[in-house]
Amino acid sequence: MHINMEEKNGVSVCYVQGDIDINSSPEVKKYFEQVTREKKDKIVINFKDVNYVDSSGLATLVDVLKKMRAYGGVLKLSNLSEKVMGLFEITKLNKLFVIVQEEADALSSF
Amino acid sequence: MSMNVKDKKEIVNDSQLLKEISKGLINKLKKMGVSEEVVFDVHVGFEEALRNAMIHGNRSHPEKKVRIETEITDNYVSITVEDEGEGFDIGNLPDPTVGENLLKESGRGVYLIKHLMDEVKYEEGGSRVIMRKYFSTKA
Repeated sequence: MHINMEEKNGVSVCYVQGDIDINSSPEVKKYFEQVTREKKDKIVINFKDVNYVDSSGLATLVDVLKKMRAYGGVLKLSNLSEKVMGLFEITKLNKLFVIVQEEADALSSF
Repeated sequence: MSMNVKDKKEIVNDSQLLKEISKGLINKLKKMGVSEEVVFDVHVGFEEALRNAMIHGNRSHPEKKVRIETEITDNYVSITVEDEGEGFDIGNLPDPTVGENLLKESGRGVYLIKHLMDEVKYEEGGSRVIMRKYFSTKA
């Protein structure tokens, strides 16, 4: 699992590579704890290289969202595979998160 | 000729083993030509069951064990995961998809299993889960 961040027009775009699961969640959580400590207020997490997410991964993302909401930040998720999107739909987390098809859609809608 | 491959193992309660255990089953299904969608559902369902057994059932106790039984046939995979914990009341779990529960960080594992697998039943007071997913393989 690897995360790379790029700043694009004032938006922090995070590219996650690998699974967000029981093994990688602590690392993902730690990464976003640092990002939210810096109070970055516009974040996109690009899922194009994420093939698998489990309940601990979903919990980690909920944690990031809650931390951002606490300081008025906005989090968007983009480029989810059909299967990963299915998990957000089953758990109704698609109602909680702003999820867009492409990264460009996220960047143009802040 | 029809296929029926059964496997039974007992593993130590180490969540680091979880991915390794699931990988074996997932790779078998992939080799059989089971669709990516079904493989994904079984992958999540199996790992959530293992995670529940190790972390919630056995409370991450390193001395405890998890028993796993799998059966693969031409049209379904059956998985049994049993821990040595006290079980739980399946009927008493909060729905993670409503109200404030959406913002909670726990409670989605059992819910995912229920929705991703075709048949799910709990025995031994919740310490044993038996689940099944049906599929058709490519000719």
